[in-house]
Amino acid sequence: MLVIRRRAGEAIVVGGDVEIEIIEISRTRVKLGVTAPRGISVLRREAAAVASENRSAAAFLTTGAVQTDLVRLLDKVSGKMAKNGNGTADM
Amino acid sequence: MTLCLHQSAGFAIDTPHLGKITWDSCSELFLPVGLPGFENETRLIPVEVPAYRPLVFLQSAEHPGVCFVSLPVLTICPGFELHLTEDDRANLLLDAAAQPAIGADILCLAILLPSGGGAEANLGAPVVINLHNSRCIQSLSPQAVFGYYRLNDSGAWEAVC
Repeated sequence: MLVIRRRAGEAIVVGGDVEIEIIEISRTRVKLGVTAPRGISVLRREAAAVASENRSAAAFLTTGAVQTDLVRLLDKVSGKMAKNGNGTADM
Repeated sequence: MTLCLHQSAGFAIDTPHLGKITWDSCSELFLPVGLPGFENETRLIPVEVPAYRPLVFLQSAEHPGVCFVSLPVLTICPGFELHLTEDDRANLLLDAAAQPAIGADILCLAILLPSGGGAEANLGAPVVINLHNSRCIQSLSPQAVFGYYRLNDSGAWEAVC
């Protein structure tokens, strides 16, 4: 891993067209500004894992085989909720 | 906020999963930063199908094929507590000191993930909707204490260890 020391107001450049600027440094946090081409996805690390989950979640309804499972699942969830009287639970 | 298939005019989209949906702008959710993996999806329509309550379908207003299936988090884990980051609060236009109540001020939905023949839900990444302004985010708080839940064979949700 490359380690670089920077101060507020300074920046680093990645790959020629991605610039990461140190905007503010507080006691426990660093505020970063990222300038990148529109096609470059910039995510917090925890968001990257969720991005992958979201893509598979969106496929829940688009894959034929999964769709069959989903119909069973919907019946299971809605049936269970109705049986438990939880159908009107607050969101 | 009304969560239902709207018959009133305004916008319309023909979807492969839910058929034709019409809605008005006040029923739409605005996602200032989209969802992780779907950063360009800034407009979602929450759709509730009576036969499948309490499931909520989050249908993209712009891309017919993009639709998520979700459940209110309290139906999965009644003891759920939400932890919002500063960025989450800013995107929802919530005061830094506000303690929004689930059901009164905000809605929390868990997106369902396919898992084998069943489903899981990541309660560490709930979709949060500000009921006062329809702004919506997916919260990814490092302080979140709730993780994955799996739907078991009897239709109940259990925490994944």
